[in-house]
Amino acid sequence: MRQPSADRLALPAGLVVTLSVLGVVFYYPVSRVLLAAIDPGGAFFGPIRTILADPFYVGVGHHAFADPLGVPSGVLAWIRNGVPLSAVEFGLFGFTAYQAGLSALASVALGLPGAYVLARYEFRGRETLRSLTIVPFVLPSILVAVGFQAMFGQTGVLNDVLAAMGFERIEFLFSLPIVIVAHAFYNAPLVTRLVTAAWEGIDAQQIESARAMGASPLRAFRDVVAPQLRPSVLTAGLLAFIFSFMSFPIVLALGGLELQTVEVWLYAKVQSLALEEAAALAVLETLISLGLMYLYLRYEAAQVVTRSGGTTQSRRPLVAGARTLTDPHRLAVFAYGIVAAVVFLGPVVSLILESITGPGGEFTLAYYEFLLAQQASAAVGTIKPLPAIGNSLLFAVGTLALAVPMGVIVSIIATGEGRGGRLAEAVLSAPIAVSGIVVGLGLLQTLVFGVPVFGHRLTVTGPVAVVAAHAVAAYPFVSRTVTPALAGLDDRLAEAARSLGASRVRALVTVTVPLIVPALLAGAAFAFAISIGEFDSTVLLSEGGGSYTMPVALERYVGNRSLGPSLGAATAMGTVLLTVTAISFVVIDRVGGRYDG
Amino acid sequence: MKRRTFLRTAGASVVGATALAGCAGNDATDTESAGTGGFNGTLQIATYSSFTGKDTAGNWLKSSFEAAHPGVTVEFTTPESGLNQYILRQQNGAEIDADLYIGLNTAELVRADQELDESLFETVDEDLTRADTVKSGLQIDPDGRAIPYDTGYISLVYNGNEVENPATFDALTSEEYQGDLIVQDAGNSDPGRAFLLWTIAEKGPDGYLDYWRDLLENDVTILSDWEPAYNAYMNDEAPMVVSYSTDQVYYHGEGVDIQKHQVGFLNDQAYANPEAMALFTDADAPDLARTFMDFMLSPVAQAEIAVRNVQFPAVEGVDPGAEFSQYAYEPSEPVTFSYDELSGNVEGWIEDWRREIAN
Repeated sequence: MRQPSADRLALPAGLVVTLSVLGVVFYYPVSRVLLAAIDPGGAFFGPIRTILADPFYVGVGHHAFADPLGVPSGVLAWIRNGVPLSAVEFGLFGFTAYQAGLSALASVALGLPGAYVLARYEFRGRETLRSLTIVPFVLPSILVAVGFQAMFGQTGVLNDVLAAMGFERIEFLFSLPIVIVAHAFYNAPLVTRLVTAAWEGIDAQQIESARAMGASPLRAFRDVVAPQLRPSVLTAGLLAFIFSFMSFPIVLALGGLELQTVEVWLYAKVQSLALEEAAALAVLETLISLGLMYLYLRYEAAQVVTRSGGTTQSRRPLVAGARTLTDPHRLAVFAYGIVAAVVFLGPVVSLILESITGPGGEFTLAYYEFLLAQQASAAVGTIKPLPAIGNSLLFAVGTLALAVPMGVIVSIIATGEGRGGRLAEAVLSAPIAVSGIVVGLGLLQTLVFGVPVFGHRLTVTGPVAVVAAHAVAAYPFVSRTVTPALAGLDDRLAEAARSLGASRVRALVTVTVPLIVPALLAGAAFAFAISIGEFDSTVLLSEGGGSYTMPVALERYVGNRSLGPSLGAATAMGTVLLTVTAISFVVIDRVGGRYDG
Repeated sequence: MKRRTFLRTAGASVVGATALAGCAGNDATDTESAGTGGFNGTLQIATYSSFTGKDTAGNWLKSSFEAAHPGVTVEFTTPESGLNQYILRQQNGAEIDADLYIGLNTAELVRADQELDESLFETVDEDLTRADTVKSGLQIDPDGRAIPYDTGYISLVYNGNEVENPATFDALTSEEYQGDLIVQDAGNSDPGRAFLLWTIAEKGPDGYLDYWRDLLENDVTILSDWEPAYNAYMNDEAPMVVSYSTDQVYYHGEGVDIQKHQVGFLNDQAYANPEAMALFTDADAPDLARTFMDFMLSPVAQAEIAVRNVQFPAVEGVDPGAEFSQYAYEPSEPVTFSYDELSGNVEGWIEDWRREIAN
């Protein structure tokens, strides 16, 4: 009798741990910041109302808050004037949503064909390529900016190629299009990763039955494949929208201040310690993101397609002799390959080239010599490359160990019988929807400064705190990949195992988990990537500066002037970061792939 | 190739630093014997990250000071949020675990005073033997808390192969210089803020937004901080960038196209951006901190700080060496806003400017 009761406790215990971690490194710190928006001392919700009534933030929408009674006559006057759209001002929120919408579309357009190729074609290096799709996700924005400038700038590779072909050089940097392409650079891999996982999970038998019943390939795709892909495409598109909505360093680095977003503005408010206004902006931003997330999750719940872990579809060879050059499908794939190479490979290769090129364009190893010199230096405060690599990997493995179970637990809750499952998941996904700047400020004011407990100030810093913070940022990605897969599983499989005497945990581990391995792997890679790329909480929580990571080292080298004012040292460290993470992702996929049925 | 020469000179001065430590030591011991006696313990210094690490001014100061005071350890902490960290600590009742802050500018001091009821810093100028050697034009604090130890001059750096020195503010808005200038975010970047303040000094608080409207119409590019802006400049995105008048200290010598590193003053001016140090009111080791501050103002330390931080000395009559003097340019008319002029104004100026940009 004792064993089943312990078994019953496993899930609640896991949930308690998850909630405790969330409470300490997320909900408490964040609420500490957001509460300023309510401003109990002044007018209730005063800071939020001020923003809503300000045309600078919400454009024409401010009338609804500043003068609600005047809205009908205003609308009438506008209609009488012939509905002049040019007069409509969208404000900071409107512009932010506009660029986020375009960015999300671009991300899906760029990422979806990649998923198609990876899921449906067989070619040498496919596995490795799939592992590497996640790499752009970890690149610090300063490096992406360097890579983009080298690729798309006035004297960049693209313009050089255009010039050699006799075309005019194009002015691409510091404009809205380049911001959108950069957002797609970050988010298209998300689309590819999520959709590939969903595509590979589709049961080939269903397609074969449809075909056997006379459906054309196109019809079978529309009726069988597309409905099963739709949730993952929309998930990825939604995440791309939210990330682009909250984009900040990329907008500044590639768009310039004229294209600033809500998040850029929020950052400026925090910098000038206008914390009430910052909190009000953050509350509105979070409400938008969480609202979208909740609406989406409700939609997703209605879309579940049951599957039972049958055989997967076989892949076609990408290269098929002479036929390769005449098959329109394959030609389209190669055309896509060229676009992907320009957008993804271009900036990354440019970045690596920058790390071995001096200011005059000559080949140099000075930046790598700098890394070696840092490693050998005995000077206090020197940021050394090797400990940075070690810490990054250590934190990432810790994050993986914490975030994957947390994500799975949240997914189990979300797919459970309870009616509030979707709402619970939306609330538990809040780490995606809350500004990183707010999280950082919250951590500073609570964990770092300390919380008074019985007359002592209790601080929570050091490696464990860093790992917890990384896990909190990462687990929503695990649950976002796992929930749809879990929801689609045929309940009867686990029930059969249970009726044969397996405990709940055993049924989960031996039946359910193997069936969702592709989704779990995709989530694990995200968790790893987020930990590797994370900067803000690492800096805040790493005690005394001893446990710095690769992105922290990179940021410090940006400020280091011993090689003159140059980003060379940072690009060298960035190349190291790229190499280490690329190898890690291949290893994660290979190790994980062994459990893939 | 110039990079290598620079590395070699930097390396050589590390060796020099060890040799100098002796005389720096004598110097500091004089101060000490004058009053406070021998020191033991740790001096906690909060500063920005590029002040510490291999070959930096911070590291030179640490080793020289420790050599002169064998019982003392100097430790640096480099909070990512800079001075805001300590303003927030004071607001939240958390301990200020540092004695000295290095790298303060006037606008930050104004912000700290505005946010806090009680001053974060202690008045020290009367207690320092060398406080009165600081150039009078650089003093940033009427209350004698923040003491400048070096200064940069914000100016234009331009590519002489592409453009002529615009020489005036008005030329920057002319068609000739359309799309030619890169500046930085005034809210987030020291040179960016300095350039904005310089335009306010030139055009007045009522006229600067009009001037910026003209700049925006002339296609000025505004990037987040100095590094991305300078990087874009080096990649030929535009032939002019707001930077420091010490640019050629990095860029000179064989194989360097010095035309690409021309320093351009506007109206014969440049905006002075002094960096100051200040003693926390809550310091655990205030006497030790004051001794360290005096040491930073000593001629030998001033010369080292200038060369290693690539900024001008704050003290009169210091010679940072022939190479520095040859390649660092001083404007005939330095411009800067005083504490009183910035107080109550600077955040509003920046906010209005940001709104103008975003519209």
